[in-house]
Amino acid sequence: MDFDLSESQNMLLDTAKKFLEKEAKGLARQVEKTDAGYSPELWQKIAELGWIGLVFPEQYGGIEGTFQDLVLLVEEMGKAVFPGPFTTTAISGLSILDHGNSSQKDAFIPALTDGELIISPALIKPDPLMNESIVHDQASMKNGKYLLSGTRLFVPFGHVAGRFIYEADTDKGKTLFLIDAGNPGIRCLPLDSIAGDKPCEVVLEGVEVSEEDIIGTPGKAEKIIKQINTRGALLESAYICGMLEQVLKMTVEYANEREQFGDKIGALQCIQHQCADMATDTDQVKFLTYEAAWKLSKGLPADKEVSMAKSWASDASRRVCLLGVKIHGGTGVMEEHDMQIYFRKAKAEELAFGDGDFHREIVATQLGL
Amino acid sequence: MDFSFSAEEEKFKQEVQELFISEEELSKAAKKEWNTGLGFGPNCWKILQKIGERGWLCPTWPKEYGGLGLSYMYRYIVVEQMHHFVDIYTTVGAGMAGPIILSHGTDEQKNKYLPPIARGEVEFVLGYTEPQAGSDLAALSIKAEDKGDYYLINGSKLFNTRAHYSQYHWLGARTAVIKPKYKGISLFIVDLKNTPGITISPIWSVGGTRTNEIFYDNVKIPKDSLVGEANRGFYYILEALDYERISTVAGLERDFKELVEYVKEKRKAGDPIIRQKLGGLAAEIESARLFALKVAWMLDNGRVPNYEAAMLKMKVAETEQNLVNTAMQIFGPYGQVQKGCRWAQFDGQFERFYRDSLENLITRGTSEIMRNIIAQRGLGMPRR
Ligand SMILES: Cc1cc2nc3c(=O)[nH]c(=O)nc-3n(C[C@H](O)[C@H](O)[C@H](O)COP(=O)(O)OP(=O)(O)OC[C@H]3O[C@@H](n4cnc5c(N)ncnc54)[C@H](O)[C@@H]3O)c2cc1C
Repeated sequence: MDFDLSESQNMLLDTAKKFLEKEAKGLARQVEKTDAGYSPELWQKIAELGWIGLVFPEQYGGIEGTFQDLVLLVEEMGKAVFPGPFTTTAISGLSILDHGNSSQKDAFIPALTDGELIISPALIKPDPLMNESIVHDQASMKNGKYLLSGTRLFVPFGHVAGRFIYEADTDKGKTLFLIDAGNPGIRCLPLDSIAGDKPCEVVLEGVEVSEEDIIGTPGKAEKIIKQINTRGALLESAYICGMLEQVLKMTVEYANEREQFGDKIGALQCIQHQCADMATDTDQVKFLTYEAAWKLSKGLPADKEVSMAKSWASDASRRVCLLGVKIHGGTGVMEEHDMQIYFRKAKAEELAFGDGDFHREIVATQLGL
Repeated sequence: MDFSFSAEEEKFKQEVQELFISEEELSKAAKKEWNTGLGFGPNCWKILQKIGERGWLCPTWPKEYGGLGLSYMYRYIVVEQMHHFVDIYTTVGAGMAGPIILSHGTDEQKNKYLPPIARGEVEFVLGYTEPQAGSDLAALSIKAEDKGDYYLINGSKLFNTRAHYSQYHWLGARTAVIKPKYKGISLFIVDLKNTPGITISPIWSVGGTRTNEIFYDNVKIPKDSLVGEANRGFYYILEALDYERISTVAGLERDFKELVEYVKEKRKAGDPIIRQKLGGLAAEIESARLFALKVAWMLDNGRVPNYEAAMLKMKVAETEQNLVNTAMQIFGPYGQVQKGCRWAQFDGQFERFYRDSLENLITRGTSEIMRNIIAQRGLGMPRR
């Protein structure tokens, strides 16, 4: 048993803290108003720092860290609400590493770790009851090529992705493709959202792809998708964990400064109890996330642990941010204060890769129910 | 025990409903304007005046000031219908400033301010909060000096929301530096449209609502701007806050009903998690509605709803949170997209509420302050 970080993890986080403090202050607020929604310059810088390549082998430009290292780094990013396609690019890259063939790995992973290529999972199919007028899923064969049509929603940073991970139901069953985002049959529309983080609607109409674009064995997409979703859920938990740590810090600082009725509001037991609840919730997220990350890093089964982490993180993200807003009083509700950015972002993170209800259901199943 | 309206009240309710139904277009336009967060637009003023014309904005006031001399239950009925049809449920003039002018103002003030308030022609902006005086209102420091034939005002206010379209500032200012601090506060009515030296600058909330900072730089106001007695302002403010805590859940009931219909339409009615959530919400909204009715009933029976009003305010704000949150949970990932996007449910209405409803936890006394009142005034527990 050891709750401490390793020396190399401490070094990684030390660099990350310094970098994010220097470069990412106020960034989330700035990029929200830009078309890109993130900073391409900083993206290059974090590639140079080796962050994008963190979990990849050296031969592909990576630095061979563990998944646990990645979780810790994402937690730091969460503290700064660092915007960008970091987690989704990392998990997309990992599925190529795990399931791609060698020419796919050679073609895409070095470009990814270099910061040149953003890959985004485009896996969420629209609920037909939400809107009827959509391009429906279709996959046919023509001259040995696949012709794909379909609509995918909430694709993270789809508008800047070079490739999409896309699943289609082919003659061989559910098959995963790595699709060139520049294909003329693809339309990508960023959606205005509560967190300003540009989830996209991606529409494919008669997009021609070949067998070389298939990741893994045709007909065996489901297992890979599940892995993407598991990793995604855990990295979101880590990001939420960082956000909540920062919200707690900000809030405690504020409560210890703000005076009303001749005393710091932080001296009021009701405020102390609220802060104590925030701290406890945050630590619950943290240790559930760490344990699941440890299991994933060891290659142990971790479905239950990941879902425990994400279910707690999803709901804690709301609870903790709401208390943070309340303790800041009117100030916390104002546009110009950072508190509201965390509050809005918390909603997006809560939803990404499954909300609390979704993951509690998985935990229940894992319990044999 | 009787949980129904009397036959006359029922008839009155119908009449009020009929006005909004016959003015459906206008009501909708007013609601839309209000929900931009910019405050009263032309349609809001128009519908307020239609309500005012009939004496319904201030039904409890005497006829000579534009009221109908009716009981509080009638006001409750109007407030409920206004909330249901236009989301605006009162004006600051009708709900807070007016009642204080009525009980503590001079005859001149009553004649000048009350009839236009009752007709829905003017609005007041609450001028209480300052950077160092939020929950602790008595700490306010904007200075009003008695200069013999006028008051000289210097200082600033924060989060004074309706300032950019109101005619009058309902201003709490310091007239004496003494201990305890609350004994040196006076209330003034300041004409925002015709007084030099006042600057209003916007601040935006996360919900897109405009509120304001107001700066007073050597502003002279006439002596008769003072409301009631000098240095008794804090008592009036507390009294007015109690009036403002009269509330309704009609808007929440309306949204809840729409949500239930939506769940049926989207074939999610069989989902046990959603059923549990909606079942719980229904009970919560109904209990908040009963709190609102009880406060109105108490006022009509000469009882002071001191902690009941706090319970009502807190519960309405928290129920609203729960409703908006439940809606967002039901929409799943579709909840995050905003107005105008084709994937937005209810055209993004709940996405905006999710941000905008935060303010109700804070304005007009935070939930913590309400809990203090319930514990201390209601349960007789000791003050710190
Ligand atoms: C959108 C919006 C519109 C507003 N409009 C107006 C307006 O038109 N006019 C106007 O005058 N004001 C307005 N306000 C101000 C509002 O009334 C104050 O924000 C509110 O009273 C809280 O004060 P504060 O923001 O200074 O928070 P603080 O009083 O500093 O409170 C900070 C935290 O401490 C807690 N706290 C403070 N004291 C205690 C205590 N004794 N016990 C337990 N907890 C305590 C609070 O509950 C809160 O959680 C508006 C505010 C907002 C957000």
